[in-house]
Formats: sequence, structure tokens, C-alpha cells
Amino acid sequence: MVMDPAVAIETQSLNKRFGGVVAAENVNFKVLSGEFRCMIGPNGAGKSTLFAMLCGIESADNGQIFVLGHDVTRMQAFERVKLGVGLTFQTNRAFHGLSVHENLTIPQAAAKLENKEAGQARLEFALDAFELDPNDETKAAELFHNQLQWLEIAMVLTGYPSLILLDEPTAGMASEETLKTAMVLKHLNSTGLTTVVVEHDMAFVKDVAQTVTVLHQGQIFAEGSVADITAHDDVRRVYLGRA
Amino acid sequence: MSTVAGLISGGADIGRTRLFWIGFAVIVLLFLLYPTQTSAFRVSNASFYLLNVPLGLGMALLWGYCGVLSFGHVAYFGIAGYIYGIIAGNMSGNSFGPLAGVAGGLLATGFVAGVFGYFVFYARVQKWIIPILTLVLTLLLETFLGQTAGYQWRVGSVLLGGYNGMTGIPWFQLGGFVFEGYSFYYLVLAVVLACYFGLRMLVNSSFGHVIVAIREDELRTELLGYDIRARQWVVFVLSAVLAGLSGLLYVQWGNYITPSQVGLLQAALPVIWTAVGGTTSLLAVVISTFALNWVTFTLSSQGNQYAMVIIGALLVVTMLFFPRGIVVMLAERLGRLMTRRAAPSQP
Amino acid sequence: MFRLSARLGRNKLGFDRSGFTMDVLPLVLSLLYQFGTSAAFFFLAAVGLIIILGMMNIINLAHGELMMIGAYTATITYHAGVPFWLAVILSFFVAAAFGAVLELLIVRRFYGRELGALVVTWGVSLVLGQGTLLFFGPFMPSIKIPGGSFSFGDFSFSAYWLILVLISLLLILGLWWLYSRTPYGLQAKATMQNAEMAKSLGVRTPRIYALTFSLGAGLAGLSGALLAPTVTIAPFMGQQFVAPAFIIVVVGGAANVIAGAVGSSAILAAIKTPIGMAFGAFSGTVALLLAALIIIRVMPNGISASLQGYFSRRAGGAMR
Repeated sequence: MVMDPAVAIETQSLNKRFGGVVAAENVNFKVLSGEFRCMIGPNGAGKSTLFAMLCGIESADNGQIFVLGHDVTRMQAFERVKLGVGLTFQTNRAFHGLSVHENLTIPQAAAKLENKEAGQARLEFALDAFELDPNDETKAAELFHNQLQWLEIAMVLTGYPSLILLDEPTAGMASEETLKTAMVLKHLNSTGLTTVVVEHDMAFVKDVAQTVTVLHQGQIFAEGSVADITAHDDVRRVYLGRA
Repeated sequence: MSTVAGLISGGADIGRTRLFWIGFAVIVLLFLLYPTQTSAFRVSNASFYLLNVPLGLGMALLWGYCGVLSFGHVAYFGIAGYIYGIIAGNMSGNSFGPLAGVAGGLLATGFVAGVFGYFVFYARVQKWIIPILTLVLTLLLETFLGQTAGYQWRVGSVLLGGYNGMTGIPWFQLGGFVFEGYSFYYLVLAVVLACYFGLRMLVNSSFGHVIVAIREDELRTELLGYDIRARQWVVFVLSAVLAGLSGLLYVQWGNYITPSQVGLLQAALPVIWTAVGGTTSLLAVVISTFALNWVTFTLSSQGNQYAMVIIGALLVVTMLFFPRGIVVMLAERLGRLMTRRAAPSQP
Repeated sequence: MFRLSARLGRNKLGFDRSGFTMDVLPLVLSLLYQFGTSAAFFFLAAVGLIIILGMMNIINLAHGELMMIGAYTATITYHAGVPFWLAVILSFFVAAAFGAVLELLIVRRFYGRELGALVVTWGVSLVLGQGTLLFFGPFMPSIKIPGGSFSFGDFSFSAYWLILVLISLLLILGLWWLYSRTPYGLQAKATMQNAEMAKSLGVRTPRIYALTFSLGAGLAGLSGALLAPTVTIAPFMGQQFVAPAFIIVVVGGAANVIAGAVGSSAILAAIKTPIGMAFGAFSGTVALLLAALIIIRVMPNGISASLQGYFSRRAGGAMR
């Protein structure tokens, strides 16, 4: 099939089950370049599994995955990252035993040099907004939780990605910190960085998202603009509760 | 940070201050002068303690910096020693024999480690499998070598020798100059210093930083775009070659090698040196390797039967009460004392 | 088989039917015997190790020394007049006690740090082995192998080894019963799957860990005592069991303790028996290491994990 450069992510008929649990069922997920997409859904809906399959941490039972113009279905995780993908994890995985400085310099050797100019600008913006000093020798474990989350985002940006996948970046953050995160992500997205975020915080989602994908029991339950989704009766029943 | 000086003084190993380097230089000087102050016998002993350092460094690199534990590293010590014995023994008239032996020994260890490493790292096995399988490999090697008694077990003109091992291994020589006694001591010292500084530069390089990241969190490192399997493989092979280097120096020191060098008891020693020194510091492991070899050698040459029990107990005590390593924890204490002395007005 | 020999009995050359039976049947029985005794040996050498691995994800490197302790208990009590089978049972409890002490004092501080546990148990094994050498000397009186041997055709079979095969089967049944029918077993399985969840449901996980470690140690001692009549009893006798035990454990994996132990023992016995018969015992063990390397390349979490995956995929399909 022709790989459209305007498409950042596309999956075709993706299926995955763990024993009796269906994590993905016939998922056709498509994100265009430059989009800001939010994925919502109840716990266990398959959001993190979809991220894992996109990045190569889990392999799908069947189906195809295209990322940034390449068929990555058979590719190792690190090969996909080198195409320009950045991922942050649901539980923070910055290097807690290392310093802030080390956290921010280690990713450099694998940075995607084609994106260097744009990437550097984005990184500097984020470091500035998140108040992270790349020469800071403080151990990451001594940072506050929200700083750790920001550190992991900055780590990922150090690789100059074209696409970032953030799994619940604002989990555990106070509302001010959530707002700041939203502001930074919106700015980064406006410079052309395709952004997909898994989130539970609906205020955040309403603030940032252009399109929202709702996952439920491994299937794409609904997809559309924030307004469409929040007005959608079934979505409200399944996830948001009648409100 | 890419200049040689920058790489040496980086933070991946203990000791960066001027005072530290002065102390280091003093100690190196003492080692250089040692032979003039003492008997040939003691110099030979010191050579023995020193020649084990590359093996310890290899363990520290692999375990401490990369997070991969190998229990059977002595296998590479033995492989290099036996291969050298075979090649140099068969080329005993030829002055290139020893060089060929060295090359052969190092290549053989690299090859075995490469194949073994391929199977374990590219399978992405669970962490505990590597120490177990490496130990099995060295135990099997010991069993194999142990049953090679008899004339039919020879390569060319060199007998493998069964449990009694291979004897009459030729000295290493460069262009007619034979390294024995004092010249051997200086050779070992040079090799140890070269290995230490080479590794120190490696761990301070960006390659070294990625290795540490792999140790900290493999998944995160892979998701930053690094092929962790390849890097673990490289470190494994490098550390095996270092073990082989120690083996090559050993057969120079004693002109013999036996299967017990790759057996269960010997296999425990590098693990103990590294744990007692502290996995996070190359220098600490240099110190602990030298010191513990001195202790075990002295104890067993005095006929003390308790040497291995003491060493085993030391390992248990270290793991329980000095998890970061005795030398490292002492160095941290010392560092804190120094900073307190330097700035007594600080609250 | 019998039809074949009957046909041959009608052979025109007058080939003697009973002669054929006398030649091939013993060979087949001998092969089965070799296979069965190898599998039993592997199972006995590894079962204690796998129990602990399955529960705590820790390889107890003092396993060989615990087997030695079992053998020493057996020989000391046996030569003091205790009947052999009673001595074997005593060995279980002595080794289990050692295990309990080990767990309480040392191993328990290393949960979550598996590599550290490996290293510290290696230190313990050095102390136990060397200590035994110093305390008891290099050799202990051996135990004469109970039962006799009998021959069939050109091959001889040891009654004791057949009993060991039987005991292995009984042990497998016993363990299956323990894990599926007792409260301990239920709690143990829950803890293996999800320790945090088990704890929050009221399972006293520290006690489960201690009991499991003792059970594993006790089984090691039991195996050591059972195998004692077949080997020289010396401080480092555990070493000869350690290499095969490790290979069994690596190939079996920790996903399902009993399936891993049984499946792995069977597969590795199937590999070792023909190669051992053709090229000698050592070549058989080398073949095992090679087989293990290849198997883990294909099934990194051992065969028990792959089996589990296979069965759960089938179950998942059935749920559609």
C-alpha cells in the first residue's frame, strides 16, 4: 500500500489478546501528521497496549502497523524509535538513579539528526517552560513527581522525534501543573510535532485535543472532536457517566 | 567531553580532584619502585595479585556498569591460557610463537563469548539466566579439561594434561626479549594501567553512559532508540577478552595452567572481588582485586585452610551490610570527610 | 511387537522368534530405563531449585550444598543404625531447617533483588561447602545402594534406580496435590501470580516465602539423600548436580513450576540418553547446554511459559 507522508500512524485490523482478555480487536487507528490526538477510555480498554504495539514493546497477534511512513509491523522497538518516535510510560521511567543532566544527555546519541533544528527549538522551549536545567546534577529521584513527568517528556524530546506518544503524562499532577503541561504540549504540537496522549483528565483533553479516540474493550468505540465525544450518549454511558 | 583528559576525569568512576590524582601518582610510583626494595619472590607475588586485575575490571564493567552478572567469567581466563599454551607450545622454536599465542588466546575468548553472548542477549532472556548459564559453561569446561589426561589428548605436540594441567608453557617474548621476573612485573603493571585508563575513558564516553542507562532501565533505554542487545553483547565480549588477558598473564607468571582455574571455587573469586570493591567503581575493584588476592595468597601459602570459608563469609557479609561495596563505601566516607575539612564553616 | 516376532517366527530361514525378542526387547527396555532414570535424576536434582525459583524468582546457589547436607544427614544417621528410608525422611527435615534459617537470616533481605540473592547464596554455598570440608574432612562413609540389580538380555537394571523413578513420579503427584488441594498451595500460587494482591487479600506472604524456601531446601536434601547411595559422599558432591539442575531450570522456566520441572526433565533426558549412549556421559551434558542455549533463543521464558501461553491462547479462543 502507498504510505502517505501526511499519515503519522496507521494500524490495520490490529488484534491482540492476553489469554482471555481482548486488548485490541480489529483496531484501525489513524493519526495524521501534525495532529493532536487524545485517547480516552476506561481502565483496561487497551490504550497502553495500543501504544506498546505501536512502539514494538508488544507484538500484535495480527494486523499491520505503519508509523511515519514505514511498515513497522516486524520492526524492533529501537528501530521504530529511530524513525522519530518518542514514548513516555504510564509509570514514570525517567532514570531515577541518575542525575537530571545524565537523563537529558543520554538520549542524545540516538537523536534523529534530520529534525535537529526543529527538535532543538522544541527541547529548549520545554526545558525552559518546565524549568529543567540540563546541567543539573541533582539525582532524578529527588525531584517532585510532576518534575519527573516533565523530565521524561524532555528526555524524549532530546531525541528530536517527529511523533510523541504520552501515556497519562498528567497523572498525579495538580491542576496548575496540568495546565502547564497542556500549554507546553500545545505549543510543541503547533510547531508540527504529532502528539498522541492517553489521558483520563477530561479538562486536559478538552484543552488540548483536536480529535479524541475512545477505546473500550479493545475496540475503537468512537472517534471525533471533543464536542462530539462529550455529547455522544454511548460514550457518556460507558466512560464519562451521565453528566 | 571528548578530549582524553575529559574522558579520564569524568564522573563515572571515583576520584576526580587534584588531590586524588596526586595520590594516584604516588601509588603508581611506589609500585614502580617496589622491585628495588624487595625480593624477587615478593615481586612475583605482587605480579600475581596484579595480573588478576583485568579479570576484575572486566567483571566490574559487565556487572557494575552494564548490569549483567556473569558467574563463569573464569572460563575465558582458562580458554586464553590454554590456547596460548597450545599455540606457543607448538611454535616453541619460532620467536613469533608467543605473539601468535596471545592473538590466538584473545581471539578464542572473543569468539566463545561472542557466540555465547549472541544466544543470551538476542534472546532477551531474564536476568538470572546469564549467571547460571555462564557458570554451567565454565563447569563443563572444567570437567572437559579434567578428563584430558593421557597422550591422546594433545594438540600438535602440546599435551592438555588432564587434572594436572598443561605445563612448560613458554614465556612471552617480544623480539627475543623474554618477560620474566622483574620485566614481567613491569609488563603486568603496564597492562593493568592501560586497561584501567582505557576502561575509565570508555565508561565516561557516551557509549559508557548508554551502558549505564541499560543497567538502570533496559526498556526505557531501548525506547530512546538504542539497540541494547548489541551493546550488551559488545560489553560482554570486551569483558571476556579482559578475563582472557588475565589468563594470558597468568600462564606467563606460572608457565602452567590447570582445569581448577576454571572451576567452581575460582569462578567465585571475581564475583567476590567485584562485590567487595563495589560494582559502581572500576578503581574500587582494582583495589579490592589486588587486596583480596594478597589475602587469599598469603592465607593459603601459610597453610591456612580457612581461606575459602573466610572469603565466602566475606561475600555474605558484604552483600548484607555493604551492598555498595566496602571500598566504595570507604571512599564515600573519605570524600565526606574531605569536603567537611575543606569547608568547616558549612552548616 | 509381538506380531512382528510372530511373523519372523514363520520365517523360512527358521529365525527363532524368541531370539528376536531376546535381542530387541532388552534394548528397548534399556533405552526406556536410561531415559526414565535420566529424567528422574534431572527431576530430583532440580525440583528443590524450581520450587524456590517459581515462588521468589531467585536461584538458590546453595542448592548443591543443601543436597550435600541431605546426603550427609542420611549417611550419618544410616551408619548410626537408622534404617535407610527413615534416614532419607530425616534428611528432608534437616535440609528444610537449614533452608528456613537461611531464608530468615539472609535470603529474605534480597526479595526484589534477584541478582543480589544469587550472589549472596553463592557466598553461603562457599561457606557451607568449605566449612563441611574443614569440619568433616574430605570423605564420608558411603551408603550401599539398596536393592539389587537384575539383568535382562545384555543389559542390567538397578532396582534402586527403578524405585527412584517411582519416587519421582510420587513426588510429582505429591506436589500437584500440594499446589492444587491444600491451603498452602492456593496461597502459594496466589503469591506467585501477584504478591501484592495476595497480601491485600490476607495471605501472609513472608510466611509463604519462608515455607516455600524451606520446602525447596527440604526437597534438595531429600534428593541428596536419595541420590547419596549412587555417588561418593563428599563436601563438594553437590557440584555434580548443580550443572544439570541449572539447565533444567533454565529450560523449564518459572511460569509453571511442576510443568516446567517435568517437561524439562523429560526433554533433556530425551536428548541426553541417545547422545550419552553414543558418545559418553560428558558429551551428553554438553549437548544439554547446547540444547538449552537453542531452546532459550526460541522460548526465552522456558517451556513452561510457552506451554502456558499455548493453553491460554486455546482457552481464549474457546471463549469467543
